[in-house]
Amino acid sequence: MKRILLRAMMAGLFCLAATSHASAATAAKRISVTGEIVDTWCYVTEIMFAVGTAHHQCAIWCAAGGIPVSILGDDGKLYVVLKLEDDGTNVANPAILKIQTHKVTVNGDLFERDGVKYLFVTQVADDQGIVNLTHAEYGIQPFGE
Amino acid sequence: MKAIAIIFAVAVLAYTPGGFAAEKWGIDGEEKARFEAKVVDIACELSGNCPANCGGGKRQLGLLRDDGSLLLVAKNFDIFAGGTADLIAFCGKRIVADGLLIKSPKMPLFALQFKRLAPDGKWSRANKFAKDWSKANGGKKGARWFRNDARTKNEISANGVFGIPGLKPDDE
Repeated sequence: MKRILLRAMMAGLFCLAATSHASAATAAKRISVTGEIVDTWCYVTEIMFAVGTAHHQCAIWCAAGGIPVSILGDDGKLYVVLKLEDDGTNVANPAILKIQTHKVTVNGDLFERDGVKYLFVTQVADDQGIVNLTHAEYGIQPFGE
Repeated sequence: MKAIAIIFAVAVLAYTPGGFAAEKWGIDGEEKARFEAKVVDIACELSGNCPANCGGGKRQLGLLRDDGSLLLVAKNFDIFAGGTADLIAFCGKRIVADGLLIKSPKMPLFALQFKRLAPDGKWSRANKFAKDWSKANGGKKGARWFRNDARTKNEISANGVFGIPGLKPDDE
């Protein structure tokens, strides 16, 4: 009887742990987004002009430094990229450096939590390259060189 | 001009000995914040895909607060660097985080300036990225890591400062 009770308690604890882990994950929504790959910090804080060619070099520095990279959607919303196709790394990911400032259309799984839209990109469906030519007006951000 | 002033302030503060308390950087919507939270792998927290040790420094980390809210750590105390290098040693642990909470309508972010293991570990400045970079690059000074980093130099030399091969600053 004691052994049965112990097993029941263990099973209960296992279920509780499994439930707790599952509750940490949230439901995803499959979406398609078109927009520019940008540096999250500079864009959100507005400490400088942070889109297009004018900000490209800074965006490369920030991505290499491990600052989160986002897609600024044509819908005006910001999507933090946490995965790029088969690559689950999202800190200084060389593949993301290669498409920094590009205008892309991606498919992916969207998770929204506490005011942030996180995107797990499953496919880069289109890459137009860099099309947002802002350098003539804004120079080279932030140092001018 | 504002950008340069903020970047200069961050750079100076990062290398200035002082107390372990957050400094304002002059960003709209910033608030000094010190709180206890658990260091988590953001992708794991959202999707349930959880590699060992929060991805070993290859994944964005966040702070899971006691009210259940998740805060993305986007910045540390080094110029042009994020917070992963400072937080990875605390994966799954509770820390006391000290820094700036950026309350922007675009999204909330956290800039980590100091951290310690909760509740009473030793404070350290959140500038491990540049220290690690310096170690990995033969002791070169980390303050200008972004100008001397092989990845950034290769990318800029290949595609130019504007990201378009052949388009040069003179073409502005």
